[in-house]
Amino acid sequence: MAGHNHNKPESEAALRVKAIEQLLAEKGLVDPAALDVMVDLYENRVGPRNGAAVVARAWSDEAFKVRLLDDATAAIADVGYSGIQGEDMVVVENTPEVHNVVVCTLCSCYPWPVLGLPPVWYKSFAYRSRVVREPRAVLAEFDLVIPDETEIRVWDSSAEIRYLVLPRRPADSDGLDEEALAALVTRDGMIGVAAV
Amino acid sequence: MGAFPPEAVEAVVFGGSTARRPADGMTPRFAVGDGVVARNIQPAGHTRLPRYARGKPGVVARVQGVFVFPDSNAMGEGEAPQYLYAVRFEARALWGLDAGPRDALYLDLWDSYLDPL
Amino acid sequence: MDGIHDMGGMHGFGAVPRGEHEEAVFHQPWEGRIFAIAFVVESIVPGANVDAGRHAIERIDPAAYLAASYYERWLRSVESLITDAGVCSDEDIDLRVAALRTKAADV
Repeated sequence: MAGHNHNKPESEAALRVKAIEQLLAEKGLVDPAALDVMVDLYENRVGPRNGAAVVARAWSDEAFKVRLLDDATAAIADVGYSGIQGEDMVVVENTPEVHNVVVCTLCSCYPWPVLGLPPVWYKSFAYRSRVVREPRAVLAEFDLVIPDETEIRVWDSSAEIRYLVLPRRPADSDGLDEEALAALVTRDGMIGVAAV
Repeated sequence: MGAFPPEAVEAVVFGGSTARRPADGMTPRFAVGDGVVARNIQPAGHTRLPRYARGKPGVVARVQGVFVFPDSNAMGEGEAPQYLYAVRFEARALWGLDAGPRDALYLDLWDSYLDPL
Repeated sequence: MDGIHDMGGMHGFGAVPRGEHEEAVFHQPWEGRIFAIAFVVESIVPGANVDAGRHAIERIDPAAYLAASYYERWLRSVESLITDAGVCSDEDIDLRVAALRTKAADV
């Protein structure tokens, strides 16, 4: 039907963003086509499958794992991943004695090149405030129970160092190739709120 | 200033823009294993030293290198790069006896956030 | 600054909101736009950088900070960075929003 408007009214935020985009484009400061590319990269090209490939290689190749723990940025670049919010990486390894979990209490810092953009829960006030003080209670909400004898290390990303957790390889994964191993690795495991 | 053209975006996204800077003759004040205490600073401007760590004792776990100093950079006062350290705080030192006896928290802290213990 | 954003260890925020396990990267198109705009603005606007962008979020009124969604906070940050730099004024933005709203209502 001509003139029939199927669109919901746009929210205040949507209108403000559109206004700002137009004003900045009119001043030659942003190119909307460049914004399109950026949105597409983070919606479709950059995500946790990247980090899973890094983890799977570390599980398969001891020499790579040593390099990853020594110079994570270089090792991750060897696998083909690099970029903004991941220029200076540190990988922290889960062991029988130590479980690692990552947060940014002050904002939402997260290793974009290997995990993509953070999920809503990682950016939530509840996670930011509580995981530093009561990691066991927060991990239990994720159905992950860490024994009292295990040392929990919480890494608060207060600078531009970005942390990735190397989860423990599942016990029943012998003989799997890298691709199959990567399929076992979850985003939550690489943040530290899941075992793998 | 001018807009990033669409063709430039991938190179920028995947190339990144590190905050690491050359040491330029600076030497770190602290080494791995050194005891430190986070200063009780209360900046009105930008800082990356959370309130929960101020005045608390820790141990240097990593010397991360020299990085842009946000307290300065955010306020238009220049990059003022300094050595950055990962400092380990025992959970009980931060949160009292309710915290796990073995648990710990790591924060990345710049030189000027720290005093020797 | 000892602002509301410095929330490590604060009590009272309740359970971590788990939500959908596989969620969209951007829940609304405007979130993706402001994400990309913030990156460009932090890179090229005088006085702007990632640290200034974070500080702009920290300076949001505490009640507004807590009520805003994540990307709404980025929107406020971008507005601060571009108005502080003199790229445009709050009035410029408000006028354009009003014009867009009128245009949408005419459709």
